[in-house]
Amino acid sequence: MIAMDLLTVKVGDEMPLLERRVTQSQIDAYANASGDHNPIHVDPDFARSVGLPGTIAHGLLEMAILAEAVARWAGGYARVQGLACRFSKPLQPGDTLLCTGRVVDVDAMNQLIHLKLEAISGRGDRVLTNGRASVRLSVDNPGQPGL
Amino acid sequence: MPDQSHVGRSYKALGQVVDQQHVAAFAAAIAGDDTPFAAGTVPPTFAAVYCVFPTMGQLFADAEVGLDMAHLVHGEQHFEWPHLVCVGDVVDANCTIVSVEQKRSLTYVGIDVEAVRSADGATVCRGYSLMVIRGGG
Repeated sequence: MIAMDLLTVKVGDEMPLLERRVTQSQIDAYANASGDHNPIHVDPDFARSVGLPGTIAHGLLEMAILAEAVARWAGGYARVQGLACRFSKPLQPGDTLLCTGRVVDVDAMNQLIHLKLEAISGRGDRVLTNGRASVRLSVDNPGQPGL
Repeated sequence: MPDQSHVGRSYKALGQVVDQQHVAAFAAAIAGDDTPFAAGTVPPTFAAVYCVFPTMGQLFADAEVGLDMAHLVHGEQHFEWPHLVCVGDVVDANCTIVSVEQKRSLTYVGIDVEAVRSADGATVCRGYSLMVIRGGG
């Protein structure tokens, strides 16, 4: 993959949009892979019985997609040093998650780039807010194949 | 129903193995066949598997704390990965309740999580989760 040249990154640079439609089968796959089988994510009748409109995606699945957006821009998962967000609105199966980000600081001393992030749904809900990421300028000990 | 007396309670999950097949299943669940990343690359939020759920799952099942799982939603999450975790690593994870607050009909439970590689003591993940119980539990 073509990595961003992190040495030329400037404050104000935009991360490319990552758009991902989240289906119930993806939510089911995430439940199996993560071990989080809370029925609010996988059982529509149960979800409605506790006042939700239907099943909702795991917050950590949404955050995983946000991490992917950062990693695609930065040139690999190993570059992602930190990630934070607030889960402001639920995402329902069939909704699209649109992840955006902007560089807010280049910290040469600590070799980190800081971004502000957010993710909205295709229907306009602000799903992930207060998003922040730190990206490593260099990975001395990649420890992982295929940056 | 969680209250102040539960602050400080912690849960350990020792010897979590970062397993190749599990990493692959997790990566596929996130990005499907669309992933540009090489096989064996560990997605950062795989911390859910080796750190968050093995420890917080014990909290969720702790009858003395009594979290109402049907009304629990994830409010906020912070992660840092000071050292990279690799396939084959074995990590010891723990989580600790650091705050319990009631505001109107909502209960907020703050939880610190951490995972340390057994072989060298390197911190591979530290984080903070804010869980929200709707309807006062």
